Amino acid sequence: MKRNQFVLAVALISVTSLSTTASAGSPSTAISARESNFKAIGKAFKVIRDQTGTPAPNFAAIRASANTIAALAPKVGSTFPKGSGPESGTKTHALAVIWEKPQEFNAALAKLVNGSRAMQAAAASGAIDQVKATIPVLGGACKGCHDQFKARD
Amino acid sequence: MTDALRRIRLWDLPVRLVHWSFAALLPALWWTAESGKIDLHKTLGLTMLGLVFFRILWGFYGSSTARFANFVKGPETVLGYVRSLRENKKLTVIGHNPLGGWSVVLLLGLLGFQATIGLFTIDEDGLESGPLNYLVSFDTSDLLREAHGLVFNVILATLTVHLAAIAYYSVIKKDRLVPPMISGSRDIPASLPAPRIAPLWQAIPAILLAAAFAYWLGMGAPTSLTQNTAASSEAYN
Repeated sequence: MKRNQFVLAVALISVTSLSTTASAGSPSTAISARESNFKAIGKAFKVIRDQTGTPAPNFAAIRASANTIAALAPKVGSTFPKGSGPESGTKTHALAVIWEKPQEFNAALAKLVNGSRAMQAAAASGAIDQVKATIPVLGGACKGCHDQFKARD
Repeated sequence: MTDALRRIRLWDLPVRLVHWSFAALLPALWWTAESGKIDLHKTLGLTMLGLVFFRILWGFYGSSTARFANFVKGPETVLGYVRSLRENKKLTVIGHNPLGGWSVVLLLGLLGFQATIGLFTIDEDGLESGPLNYLVSFDTSDLLREAHGLVFNVILATLTVHLAAIAYYSVIKKDRLVPPMISGSRDIPASLPAPRIAPLWQAIPAILLAAAFAYWLGMGAPTSLTQNTAASSEAYN
């Protein structure tokens, strides 16, 4: 009996501790914060792309969006806390390789930050051709990382 | 039934060309999407859309076996046909049967729908987008990208049924549907009327219209000569 009670106590403690970790920095919170950060970047990037397609691009919108991206891009790294990968059980496209190859992942993140700065500079220049030329740089950073670290739909 | 057979023209050239183009385009579209050859994917998708549009126009004024009015039937006729399949009747329908007629409508609709969704989609890296993506919001394009993947699966399922039906007619009904779709000709009982095949030149207006429409969409559907959305969207590629 004593043994059984001990087992029960251990089980209870582990269940409680599991649930506390889940509520504190739960993977699902981390994942949704990550996704909304990416979505905000994607949304701003689309504004820039759409503007380059119009006969009279709105540079105020391009600049604002480039600033948004440049502010959000450096945050991307922190939206990938340990435990928020596929092992969390929550639906995510993040691949485990992100945490297995942190150096490669950080290099990919650096490309995004650099790309966002390049876009900010292009937007500030006021030359639409420079903005257009920077789209593949920034988009390439997205793609480079997605190809390696994101599961396909 | 000792009806003598005679060889008639069943499918005109436009119907056959469109059909086999679909058959070739589908795997090509799948492959270009999978391998990230989006430029080619867009060109093929616009070609697909143009072909669907042409086929719809041809369905109103083409050869008798190409016309919707001749093969799109009401539910009673379709059910009656399905019942008659169990009996071992001889061929009485020239062209699409009442059930197959609906599969034409369904497949054409799905292909047109899929190509139309494609016009508005964007890849998640913001590198590639359909020519009309600038008309929709980020969230909408996100949704449409998912829909583009889903509808492809629906098309695959429908194609499976299409191929199963061809196998069924070939094996069970001893009616081989593929050779006439290639050659255009088949043998029918002499008592049945031959289809009226439209002269080829008659397809020219529909070809021009469909090509112009697809080209216009590919340019980003400009409403004036100065608007050059596609010219600039080329810059991303």
